[in-house]
Amino acid sequence: MFNYLIRRLFTSLLVLFGISVLVFSVIHLVPGDVTMAILGRQKVTEEKVAELREQLGLNDPLYVQYGRYVNNAVQGDLGKSIRTNQSVSEAIGEQLPSTFALAISALLVALTIGGILGLFAALRHGTWFDTLVMGISVSGLSIPTFWMGLLLILFFSVRLKMFPSISNGSSFADLFLPALTLGLPEAAVVARMVRASMLDVLNKEYIVTARSKGLPERLVITKHALRNALIPVVTFVGLQMAYLLGGATIVETMFARQGIGRLAVQAIYNRDYPMVQGVVLVTAAIYVLINTLTDITYVWLNPKIRLK
Amino acid sequence: MTADLSPTPIQANSPGMRLLKQVLRNRSAQIGGILLIILIFISYAAPLFTDKDPNKTAPSVALEPPSLQYPMGTDNIGRDNFARFLYGGQLSLRVGLVGITIGALIGITLGLTSGYFGGWLDSFISWFTDVLMAFPDILLALAIIAILGPGITNAMLAIGIAFVPSFMRLTRSSVLALREMTYIEAAKALGSSDARILVRHILPNSIRTLLVLITLGIGSSILAGAALNFLGLGAEPPTAEWGAMLNAGMKFVRQAWWLTVFPGLGIFLAVLSINLIGDAVSDAVAGTNIMPNQGKK
Repeated sequence: MFNYLIRRLFTSLLVLFGISVLVFSVIHLVPGDVTMAILGRQKVTEEKVAELREQLGLNDPLYVQYGRYVNNAVQGDLGKSIRTNQSVSEAIGEQLPSTFALAISALLVALTIGGILGLFAALRHGTWFDTLVMGISVSGLSIPTFWMGLLLILFFSVRLKMFPSISNGSSFADLFLPALTLGLPEAAVVARMVRASMLDVLNKEYIVTARSKGLPERLVITKHALRNALIPVVTFVGLQMAYLLGGATIVETMFARQGIGRLAVQAIYNRDYPMVQGVVLVTAAIYVLINTLTDITYVWLNPKIRLK
Repeated sequence: MTADLSPTPIQANSPGMRLLKQVLRNRSAQIGGILLIILIFISYAAPLFTDKDPNKTAPSVALEPPSLQYPMGTDNIGRDNFARFLYGGQLSLRVGLVGITIGALIGITLGLTSGYFGGWLDSFISWFTDVLMAFPDILLALAIIAILGPGITNAMLAIGIAFVPSFMRLTRSSVLALREMTYIEAAKALGSSDARILVRHILPNSIRTLLVLITLGIGSSILAGAALNFLGLGAEPPTAEWGAMLNAGMKFVRQAWWLTVFPGLGIFLAVLSINLIGDAVSDAVAGTNIMPNQGKK
């Protein structure tokens, strides 16, 4: 377990190094002169270009620029926004809680709805209910998040006038539609996964033994089957959390919610490269952290691997 | 001297044909296939269904609800939503197809090279793929758009690059299994070049595994393309595209439901049809003999 831990952490550090190189390169990969891309078609004086190059630190050799970028980044300094002059770390820090609130609520929606549907589909395997759940699941995987959001707005906001179509807080009413929009397509994935996992476990010999011992079906399901069937779902939860952070981009833009996804899209519109770099770096780092923790938790939960 | 050990052409009972027959017999694939053919047909044969110009504005009939004259209503500047739906489908479907083709071409090439040659090249490509995979798909696409700038071509490229890691990983794992096969050793012993072994022997035998990813990937690629267009980072106005139409229609969601319902339905049906076919391909691949040469010699 210890060796695995060290190896896994080392791999994550290597990936983080790669991410830092890629994110650093963003500004250097822009076709043509990046300062002209930022300043656009406005009348540009040479002084203005020189000033911007200085601000972005483009006059130093590449390795010096990279060293400075990483050194500042590990100290929490991701530079300043070209457009607002606000500190990038500060801007991300302000937006991150809203994105987390959205991602966690969406995960709860996905696990609750998907988990229940998947469980009952497995228990009623081969019946019309199973076919219905699988049908809903394929449809859920095919629905664009943004269309789902608009349909929910049309129904809950325009027709029933129950929830706001623009939401910026973390109250139940504010989070209901965005969380449903982001969580429902994921519920389709969860339902498929729980169903497959339950079907697999229900065919195991220890379930047959538990039944033959005369245990009530409810106990067989809750105490023996469900507990084991949920182990693969643990890995999945971690990965989905990371995925939901990315998916929040569209939902935040759609509901005009605060969040790092919307911050990234705005920064791209404004060609605010330090902000784009900062958001991408932070999101990817969170993604790596979640993946690493998920892998470690999985190994820890699975005695076959843990005790090797 | 090189002996031709390439797979025999497709015969009636070849694994390729068996796979195709199995997919065609699948009910979901039949529904998906018919749906997809209809969508492609109405999009590419749009002039047969409407004589209206998708970009012609007519402010006097702005925000007209669906009627016989305007089956899908009109938008805020009086453009016919039905014509825009039909023509928009062309671009949405093309973005998906081009995106996945770019991803598959780069990913498969990297996977073949990485898995076959191994060593430092494999380590480097695998590390690079791990790094790309550390970005959520949409974020990677956004980062690429940030570099290249918004636009439909750049959106296709961004989607393609976001798909590279999946194709690379799957191809690599398939190559790792195949390169130890006796027929590959035989081809090497007979003097076949690495390039020939990769293209004539390994690639055709990996394709079945990749088929599932390619099929389901087209759906994901259409979704990703529509998402970038929805965010306003793809097609530029007045170009009709389903994602971009949804974005424009969102502002009028309270007055004109038809501006959001129809383009979204187009994306949904396109992705659903491809997912239905993809599921059938996945079942067929799992149920057929993956190694066509197995048991032949």
